[in-house]
Amino acid sequence: MKICQVEGTLVATARIGSLQNRRLLVVKERGSSGKQVAVDPVGCKPGDWVIAVGSSAARDAAGSKDYPSDLTIVGIIDYWDDSSGQAGVRADANPPSRP
Amino acid sequence: MQIHRVVRELVTTKRNFWLAAKSLRVVEDHKGNLEVALDPIGAKPGDFVVTIGVSAARIAAGNPKITTDLTIGGIIDHWDEARWRQ
Repeated sequence: MKICQVEGTLVATARIGSLQNRRLLVVKERGSSGKQVAVDPVGCKPGDWVIAVGSSAARDAAGSKDYPSDLTIVGIIDYWDDSSGQAGVRADANPPSRP
Repeated sequence: MQIHRVVRELVTTKRNFWLAAKSLRVVEDHKGNLEVALDPIGAKPGDFVVTIGVSAARIAAGNPKITTDLTIGGIIDHWDEARWRQ
């Protein structure tokens, strides 16, 4: 799975019928310069860090084996601190130890 | 899926049986690399399109037996070159 940041929605009115009326998002993979387009069954906002699956798993993730997607968003990352390249720590994850 | 721009049409008369009579387009990515994509919708040169790769390309072609690894899935309504290159 890839870690991507959502850049915005993509409008393509003239499309093949099998793509249906699913939402397409422009995403930028972490650490690469190029933009990619992903199917969004989750409902993401621009700026969200998300995980996306590729290859044939993307078809299943979009809801059906017959859906022609090669990149599908499967989840929104709750906390991501991009400077450290790790999942960020929740503010309340480590309560201060008692004396 | 990726964002490509259609460069021109491509004609191949002598072709693999499972490519059928599908029309082909030469497309370029943001770095100028050329690829050939199958076009089920009829994109014109200069159009920005969404292209579907790997095994989903065969489904997008309308028949999973069609031998393609890149198929045009839709024509993008609004897109500008600066945003594409950046």
